[in-house]
Amino acid sequence: MGSEPPPPLPEWASEPCIMGIDEAGRGPVLGPMVYGCLYCALSYQKTLSTLSFADSKTLKEEKREELFENLKADESIGWAVDVIDPRELSDKMLRKNKINLNEISHESAMGLIRKALNLGVLLTEVYLDTVGDTEKYRVKLSERFPNIKFVVAKKADSLYPVVSGASIVAKVTRDRALRDWLPDETADLSRNFGSGYPGDPQTKAWLEDHKHSVFGFPSLVRFSWGTCTSYSKDFVDVLWESDAADGDESGKSSKRQKKLTSAGFTTVKKRSEDIESSGKGRCKFFQARKLELLSQF
Amino acid sequence: MDGRDEGSSEMEAPIAVDLSRGSAAADLTGKVHQLPCCIKHDGPTPVSQYFKPKPTEMEVDGLKVEEAHFRGRKLHGTTVALPRGYSGFILGKKCHDQGNNGMNSQGWVTAATFEDITVWNHDAIPSKDDAFLRAFHWFTAANALHQTVTAEDLESACIDWELV
Repeated sequence: MGSEPPPPLPEWASEPCIMGIDEAGRGPVLGPMVYGCLYCALSYQKTLSTLSFADSKTLKEEKREELFENLKADESIGWAVDVIDPRELSDKMLRKNKINLNEISHESAMGLIRKALNLGVLLTEVYLDTVGDTEKYRVKLSERFPNIKFVVAKKADSLYPVVSGASIVAKVTRDRALRDWLPDETADLSRNFGSGYPGDPQTKAWLEDHKHSVFGFPSLVRFSWGTCTSYSKDFVDVLWESDAADGDESGKSSKRQKKLTSAGFTTVKKRSEDIESSGKGRCKFFQARKLELLSQF
Repeated sequence: MDGRDEGSSEMEAPIAVDLSRGSAAADLTGKVHQLPCCIKHDGPTPVSQYFKPKPTEMEVDGLKVEEAHFRGRKLHGTTVALPRGYSGFILGKKCHDQGNNGMNSQGWVTAATFEDITVWNHDAIPSKDDAFLRAFHWFTAANALHQTVTAEDLESACIDWELV
């Protein structure tokens, strides 16, 4: 999580406060997903609506940057972000026990709330855009934070100024994160990835230019995205032990095979000898340690 | 090694494995990685450009845990030194003398050596109970099996009927 190091808790934060939460970068196939929040005293709500956030998506980048700087400078407003690295998204969504994008989103939002509460902010109302089933989300939030009133609504960023403000915080943070992205890879990577949306021709061209038969893509890319499936013919097959492991249970495995094939992974039909050495005919000591005697090679 | 059967099966001559480290043999200590997957590719690839292990704060069973990513999956691994007296060898086929009937010198030469190996897991933190790490027990067992037997060993192995 990141935000500016908090100054001592402002006085208004001990009054009842409202918070808006929104995200940026959920749809793109590359870069981080950012959750942002904005909070202020209930009494400041009226002023907030005059600050003309509108829908962040309709604003130009420079205007958003300007608004963000204004928000930061406003002493009656608090804000925070959670920048979710694409590697974290890929990791969580590709585990054996997958964590899906909605769960990741919910946890991020709840993390922002928790963080504000830990700072001592007296949150009484939180407004969010819907993620998954609206009512289920509201219930989940209320159970986690029983003293807060939650309003979960579609297009919350156009309904509630706290949410539009949060949307700006998230969007600008994501834009900057992408702009300043420092790749892990020392391979030659260009930076003209466009918006990162799978439909963006510039993004498509970047993916095409940066695909690699063994490594797939640089880690800026969300490997769990369906977009990557269409490149599977350009990649060599990789069979994972953790996928093969529960392939022997027929019902489970066929479901898993469907999921895997649609994600571009080859399935358990391949021999497990491809992955591990055979313990055939050997005593338990060797079998358990996957030690195979090779008399010919 | 995948135990492929190479060449004609009528060849009975022993295959030579030359473990001498020529000047060409690289030292790949710190660069050998055992991944929890099978990559259907043989050949060179820019590993050091894409595969970037990092240390973590975690330590399990005395093993320092590292993390890395491959094809979007997060891997946790640990680097294990090969025991004293042992080395890892990367062998390559001897290039020349690939005769039609395979009679002449078929053999392996040392292309590189390594003194440690980094073992990676997916969806599991490394532990000393992992199959690959348990394979190292073989060194202890082999040493015990192949050590020369001393007179004292023989004596202490005899059952003392009085104590039974």
